[in-house]
Amino acid sequence: MLQSNEMQNSTYYHYSPTYKYSVGIESVNSQYFKEDYLYYRITYLVNRKNTKNSQRNLYLQSGISSAGLDHNFYGVHGDWETRRLFSGFGYKVTHTQTLDYAEQFLQLGVAPYIGEYGDMHTWLMVKSRHNELIGGWNTYPVLKFFKGNALVEFGYSDTSNWDIHLMYRF
Amino acid sequence: MKYLYLVFAMMAAVYTSAHNHTMHDMDSHNHEGHLHDTMVDGKLLEVDPKRFDDFVAELEGKQVAVVSVSGMVCDFCARGIEKTFSKDKSVLKLDVDLSGGKVLIAFDKDRIIDFEDIKKKILSNGQNATDLQIIKI
Repeated sequence: MLQSNEMQNSTYYHYSPTYKYSVGIESVNSQYFKEDYLYYRITYLVNRKNTKNSQRNLYLQSGISSAGLDHNFYGVHGDWETRRLFSGFGYKVTHTQTLDYAEQFLQLGVAPYIGEYGDMHTWLMVKSRHNELIGGWNTYPVLKFFKGNALVEFGYSDTSNWDIHLMYRF
Repeated sequence: MKYLYLVFAMMAAVYTSAHNHTMHDMDSHNHEGHLHDTMVDGKLLEVDPKRFDDFVAELEGKQVAVVSVSGMVCDFCARGIEKTFSKDKSVLKLDVDLSGGKVLIAFDKDRIIDFEDIKKKILSNGQNATDLQIIKI
């Protein structure tokens, strides 16, 4: 998984022994702190509700930095989606040697068409993010495409520039 | 300028949507005599007709497990189902029907189909198998 935004560029490799949790290593190039480090991460699925037409998920996530135990993060994120609609949220607190800060996001999306298995799927989304280090809520459009095992999501705003997320499932 | 690119991309996606719906409307399908009209345990087989007929086209003498799955709302998330069943050598063919919430799995006619095993495999991917219908082709 590759992610790039105004705060950092990162590459995240993770493995899911079961659908309940995943462990991984994230290599971070922090634009804000001007440093590179690793996060040893774990994500745990606290709750999932499957229905015929929807799925709801609630996750806990945590990570410890290679820069030291006093550099870590924890958070919660969740989503609810049907084949037509998507909503998601996240809240994450990061402690570093010099600063502590929190980030939140809300995301809403609609699929303009319902693709079949194997088709390219498209989501039109709006994402709103808040980072205490930057201040204020930043709301911007996001496009998300996936086909097969590949997913790409990108958004753009004047204040934070590109917010890009690439994922490939092996 | 970058906003314009995004707006253009969104318009292209909406156009694709409209085009797909038009194509769907034009797809006339004759249901007469097809296997998807079969009753299984007193219930009509709830599968996409064309999809099912295409799936069983070359499966004469085999059997097909039609598994109802809840939580299968996303292509990307359902990929693991195909991956899990592809490891099972007794599976001849598999299809995921996102719209119908079904997974079609073809087996040899002599294979005993174990719903508990199928449930475990589906659950290992995070979805729930809720019903099974077995059709002899």
